[in-house]
Amino acid sequence: MSSQRPPRQGSRTAEQSAAPRDGATPALAVEGLSKQFGSGADAVTAVDDVSFRIEQGTVVGLLGPNGAGKTTTIKSILGLVLPDSGSVRIQGIDMSEHPRAAYRHVDGMLEGARNDYWRLTVRENLRYFSTIKGVKPDAVADRHERLLAKLDLLEKADEPVRDLSRGMKQKVSLASVLASESDLVFLDEPTLGLDVESSLTLRRELRRIVDERDLTAVVSSHDMDVIEDVCDRVIIMNEGEIIADDSVPAVLDQFTANAFAVTSPDITDDLLTMIRERFEVVDVTSAERGKRVEVATDSNGFYRLLALCRDHNVTLTGVGTVEPDLEDVFVEITGQER
Amino acid sequence: MTASADRADNTAMRAGYLDLARAVLYREYLIFVRYPANAIGGIVISVFFFGLLFYGGRMLAGQAITDSIEGIIVGYFLWSLSVGAYQSISNDIGSEAQWGTLERHVMTPFGFAPVAFCKGVAKVVRTFLTSTVVLAVMLAITGTTLQLNVLTVVVVASLTIASVLGLGFAAGGVAVLYKRIGNWLNLLQFGFIILISAPVFELGWTRVLPLAHGSALLQRAMVDGTRIWQFSALDLGLLVGVPAGYVLLGYVVFQYTTRRARRLGVLGDY
Repeated sequence: MSSQRPPRQGSRTAEQSAAPRDGATPALAVEGLSKQFGSGADAVTAVDDVSFRIEQGTVVGLLGPNGAGKTTTIKSILGLVLPDSGSVRIQGIDMSEHPRAAYRHVDGMLEGARNDYWRLTVRENLRYFSTIKGVKPDAVADRHERLLAKLDLLEKADEPVRDLSRGMKQKVSLASVLASESDLVFLDEPTLGLDVESSLTLRRELRRIVDERDLTAVVSSHDMDVIEDVCDRVIIMNEGEIIADDSVPAVLDQFTANAFAVTSPDITDDLLTMIRERFEVVDVTSAERGKRVEVATDSNGFYRLLALCRDHNVTLTGVGTVEPDLEDVFVEITGQER
Repeated sequence: MTASADRADNTAMRAGYLDLARAVLYREYLIFVRYPANAIGGIVISVFFFGLLFYGGRMLAGQAITDSIEGIIVGYFLWSLSVGAYQSISNDIGSEAQWGTLERHVMTPFGFAPVAFCKGVAKVVRTFLTSTVVLAVMLAITGTTLQLNVLTVVVVASLTIASVLGLGFAAGGVAVLYKRIGNWLNLLQFGFIILISAPVFELGWTRVLPLAHGSALLQRAMVDGTRIWQFSALDLGLLVGVPAGYVLLGYVVFQYTTRRARRLGVLGDY
C-alpha cells in the first residue's frame, strides 16, 4: 500500500499552494473567528470576531474567566468546533480547505479529557498517537525516549497508563501530544491536577522542549504562574473577545505604572475614607510599618495622594509602585476573579 | 516555512496507511490479549444463552429443534458476530468521545474515514476470534457437524456483518450527537435476530436488509457446503452491494452527526 501519493508533475500540494514562501508565514493566523451557539433570544456568542497571529517558536498564554471563549476558540482553530465565520491558517494552510494537510502540523491536549488510552502503556500511547498523526514511531523513537526522560516518565514507560497517578497521567497526555512531532500544539490546562512540584517540573520541561524543538504553543491555564513562567505572550479574552494581547512583560508593564501604595501608621479611618472618595483603593492591609493602602491611579494621581497625606500630617514609612503579577492584571482587565 | 514546519513534512518520517492499519490493529490486539476478561465474558454469555436456547428448545419443541439445529447454530454464530461488531463499534465511538481520543482521531492527516475503516476491520477480526470459539462450543454441545470451508465462511460472514458495521457507525454518530443513548441503540441488536431469520426466499425485497441475504448464503455455505464460487452472480453482487450500501450509509450518517456535533460544539462533551 502506498503511503503517500506523489504530487503530479507541475502540480502543487495543498501545503505548497497554501503557504507563501516568504519565510514569514506565521505558525497560526486567525482572522475574524466567530462562533455563536443557539439562536434567537437564547443565542450565546462564544467567540466574537477574534483575530491574532502567532509566530513560530512563540508560546502564547490564553487567559480568560470561565465562559470567556477560550476553549471554543481553541476547538474552532482545531476544527473540532465549526466556526460561523472567520479563517484559520496553520503554517499558511487554510484549515477549512485543507484540514488533513493542516493536521500534520497541529495537535492538542484538551481540558478534562484523557487524550490517550489508559489500557495501553505510556510508550505504546506515544507510538500509537505518533502514527495517527502521520509520523512513523520508529523514525522518532529516540526523540520519544528523550521526551519520556524529560518528563520523568522513563521508569513508568512500560506501565499501563491506568496504573499511574493523576499527575503522571497528565504528563502522559502531554507527552503523547508532543510525541506527534506537530510544530503547533494547544495545551488546555496542562498542569491541571498536578501538585506544586510536578507543576513546576512540567513548566520547566515544557519551556525547555518548546525552545529545543522550536515549537509554537498555545497554553490555556487557570494557573497564572504557568502563564508567567512558560509564555512569551499573553492573550486575554472576555465575553468572546480579545481584550489584551501583548508580551507578558509588556502586559505587566502597562499596569505597573498604574498602581501605587503608601504605608504609614498615621493613616486614620477618616483619612482612609477620604482616600476612598478620591481614588480607586485596590487593597488595604496592615503592615509592620503601619497601614498600607494600595490605589490604582496614574502618576499625577499618585502625587495628589502624597499631597493629601502631607495635608493630614501623615508621615509615610513606605511609598512605591506596585508590581503586579499576571493575576492582578487579569482581574484588572476582565473585572472578574478567575 | 520554518525548520520546524519542514520537520513535519519530512517524508522519511511520514507514516503511511499501512503504518496506520498496523497501529490500529496492534492496539486492538494488545487490548485483546492484555484484558481478556471482556472477551471471555462475552464468550461465556453467548454460550450460556445458546445453552438455554438449545436445551430449553429441546424440552419444549423436542425433535423440531434437533432437526433444525444446524440452521440455529449458523444463525446464532452470525448473530454473535453481528452483535460483537455492532457493539464494539458503537460503544467504542461513545467511549472515545468521552476519553477525548475521538477528537485526536478527527485531527489526523489521514482523515477520519481511513482510521474508522481500520478500526472497523480490527473489530471484525476480534469478533471473528471470539465467535469462532462460541461456534466450536456450540458444535461440541450439540454434537453437530457443519461444512466449514474457511474461505467461503470468512468471506460470506465478513461481508454480511459489514452491513452491521455501517449500522454501528451510524449508531455511534447518533450517540456522539445526542449522548447517553447507548442503551437504546443497543436494543437494535435484538432486531438482528429478525434480520438473520428473514424469509429471503419468500420475500425477495428482504435481501436488501442488513444481514438477511448474507445470512441465507451463510446457511447454504455452512449447512449445504456451497462454496463461494458456486453462488450466482446476483447472489454475490448482493452480498457485496448490500453491505457496501450500509457501510456508506453509516459513514454518511456518522459524518453528518459528527459535523452537526462540531457545529453545536458538543463533539466529545459527554
